[in-house]
Amino acid sequence: MTAITQSLSQFKGSIGQHFRWDYFLQDNVTSSIWLTIWVALLTMVTAVYTIGQVASSPVPTLIIIAIWVAILGLAIAGGLFQKHTKVGDWLGSNLVGSISNALLTLLLMLWLASAFRSVLSYAVINATFDPALTAPEVRTKDGATWGWLAATNSNPEVIGGARDLLLYGRLDRMFVPRVKAAGLIILALALLTVAANKTGVWQSKKPVSQGLTYAWLLSPLILFILLNGVTYNPDKPLINFSTLIMGTIGVLLLYGFSWWQKIVKYSLANVIVAAVAFPIFYVAWRFLAQSQLFPVINVDTWGGLMLTLIIAASVILLSFPVGLILAMGRRSEVRGIPDWITWPLVIIFTVWGFKTSTPGLLADARNTIETLIAFWPILIVAIGYVIQQGFKGNIVAAFSTFFIETIRGVPLITLLFMAIIMAPFFFKSGTVIPNPYAVIIGYTVFSAAYMAELIRGGLQAIPQGQYEAADALGLNTLQKMRFVIFPQALRILIPALVGSFIGNFKSSSLVSIVGLFDLVGIAGSVVGNAQWLGLKRELYYGMALFYFLVSFTMSSYSRRLEAKLSTGQ
Amino acid sequence: MAVNPTAENIIEIRDVHLWYGEFEALKGVNLTVKQGEVIVLLGPSGSGKSTFIRAINRLEEHGRGDITVKGIPLTHDVRDIAEIRREVGMVFQQFNLFPHLTIMENITLAPINVRKWSREKAEEIGMKWLTRVGIPEQANKYPGQLSGGQQQRVAIARTLTMEPEVLLFDEPTSALDPEMVKEVLEVMSDLANEGYTILAVTHEMGFARGVADRIIFMDYGRILETGPSDEFFENPKHDRLKLFLSQILHH
Ligand SMILES: Nc1ncnc2c1ncn2[C@@H]1O[C@H](COP(=O)(O)OP(=O)(O)OP(=O)(O)O)[C@@H](O)[C@H]1O
Ligand SMILES: [Mg+2]
Repeated sequence: MTAITQSLSQFKGSIGQHFRWDYFLQDNVTSSIWLTIWVALLTMVTAVYTIGQVASSPVPTLIIIAIWVAILGLAIAGGLFQKHTKVGDWLGSNLVGSISNALLTLLLMLWLASAFRSVLSYAVINATFDPALTAPEVRTKDGATWGWLAATNSNPEVIGGARDLLLYGRLDRMFVPRVKAAGLIILALALLTVAANKTGVWQSKKPVSQGLTYAWLLSPLILFILLNGVTYNPDKPLINFSTLIMGTIGVLLLYGFSWWQKIVKYSLANVIVAAVAFPIFYVAWRFLAQSQLFPVINVDTWGGLMLTLIIAASVILLSFPVGLILAMGRRSEVRGIPDWITWPLVIIFTVWGFKTSTPGLLADARNTIETLIAFWPILIVAIGYVIQQGFKGNIVAAFSTFFIETIRGVPLITLLFMAIIMAPFFFKSGTVIPNPYAVIIGYTVFSAAYMAELIRGGLQAIPQGQYEAADALGLNTLQKMRFVIFPQALRILIPALVGSFIGNFKSSSLVSIVGLFDLVGIAGSVVGNAQWLGLKRELYYGMALFYFLVSFTMSSYSRRLEAKLSTGQ
Repeated sequence: MAVNPTAENIIEIRDVHLWYGEFEALKGVNLTVKQGEVIVLLGPSGSGKSTFIRAINRLEEHGRGDITVKGIPLTHDVRDIAEIRREVGMVFQQFNLFPHLTIMENITLAPINVRKWSREKAEEIGMKWLTRVGIPEQANKYPGQLSGGQQQRVAIARTLTMEPEVLLFDEPTSALDPEMVKEVLEVMSDLANEGYTILAVTHEMGFARGVADRIIFMDYGRILETGPSDEFFENPKHDRLKLFLSQILHH
């Protein structure tokens, strides 16, 4: 305020004709009583805060005030003397466009500077990085104690660091090299891919792009071998011939189906590859198992950063295709089952239900609710009605819609609990599903339901004419989707998809509630550990930084991808 | 233009009905098209012209009646549909080019994936058609960088590269500025002279009079009148047609 009035009165004589002092005052101060009060209050607060800052740390504060005055000067010069410069105009309209903006700018600059100084002094200047200096006696009061986060606790006798706990949780330390190998493989693949893209090799050299693509496609298998291990039971025969034959037939059928759908071409070489693929894979797998090179890791001991990354990556990678299938299912226009098939079936099943199950249930019923439950076959009629009336007999759309809406109606936490508690019910008794896998499945289902609606929105945004043109040219459904619809839908969807990926990544910390020790879960037990008592802040700041960096990387990558995909628009 | 009277029937449509839900958009349409014939469909808005030609390549599904193209009956069988779509090309009012692909990619997409041509062959033939419609230099641009008339010519080249025998046009010039209409009509006339079988919905009377072998007048989902182009305008019989002609010829 003071600066503005000073500079104004100083320049008043040379003000151009365009400037009207009375308009200026009215726009900035007197146009309404609230504005006047606001400006007066803001002036006071700014003045008080500035004086406080000058008193506590004069040099930096005075520098900032000088910068602010310079900005004001530039903007005023532009406004008063019609000397427009790009920088001056930008500053004028964005930072000091009005008196209250100018004051807010000063206030924010001062506040940011002082916040930055506190962070700097806490995190760097007064901090200790030495893992040896973590005992309570040697901690400094106004600085962070970082060392313990990065150091190993290989020797339990000495107060060590929390690094391994945070990275691997309660995983048996003998398996750590395998985890490291897995991490290195993914890192190397990622770096190679980025490098190939940056240098243009990806586009120009087909073997490179193909090799990398295959490596990526193979990587889940390699990660599974490294992180899960290969089961081996010496009591069972090494090669189970019925598995061998069934698998081979399965792959051949898949090939036949893909050929029928015109996804792959027919050739003798392809048939031979399809025929030997499964036997080779199966035998290799069994020998790998027998070799005991990668004994099974108890998956329930996975923890820390490793578990967080496994869950987040699996959920992100799996929920997209599942969501895609659900979205296409919901939009599908397959020929509905006609009434004359549905209703007889409904009647048969309803009657059958009433005959076989209702009498027994009625006999055992102890209260009204159980009596009502005995009449459950009525539900078959209701389902039949909904499918015929609401979906014109299209069960694909009916099932997808039902699935999406049900899952979206359930909170994630509930679903995770259900996954852990109920997963065993869905499989034959005796099967144990390790908690991390159950959680991945439950979380994927949850995320896929949301993803499906995102994708459906994207597909609906593509004009009908695009579908029609692709149809008229004779492209089949798969080709139409792959070449015409998805590329366009994906471009629209990228911000939303990446947003949901980021959400998946961060919400994966919820698994700590159902008893998994992911990064957040293990952090809870680390800070509860007596030797690290009082070091909570360091850990949670570190984690916040980690989550931020990963999310930020994803979102900035998405922005670049968006720009890249919008060529020709 | 003059159709060989012994030419065989390429499209046979018998008593075709088509419903949108409860609404009957086609109420029993019969039409036989000979190889090389050029037919223009006229009719007031909402009379079912688009519905009719879109039923021929199964963009709309007819409810009753038979449609046969080159002896292939149009059924629910996806293979029949695919085969018919290979013989029948369609050009739309809104061009419907794929905006994320270059002109050349637009043109070669279907030949490579449906006809299973090599990229080289598809590009060679695609280039031939681009040259024919007069814009070979635009091959590497994107649709958004072309004028409306150029886009429609690309759409025609895209359709022709698939080497169909029948061409369906649904008001191909209605979305174009007047000065671009001519360039598209010229291409269409050339194609008619070359012996393509053409069914076109268009309000371009010059094209209808000069190029068409036969004109069809539709209203309320029926064919009300049909005749050789010269007769058709001289002595219309049906009252609806007289009214319609007086309206459009006034403009
Ligand atoms: N997808 C649809 N769903 C329901 N009704 C439709 C649909 N498409 C067209 N119709 C109706 O069918 C009738 C015929 O439409 P059509 O588009 O074939 O007319 P048209 O002769 O091509 O008209 P125009 O000259 O305006 O293009 C119209 O009454 C229209 O409202
Ligand atoms: Mg129409």
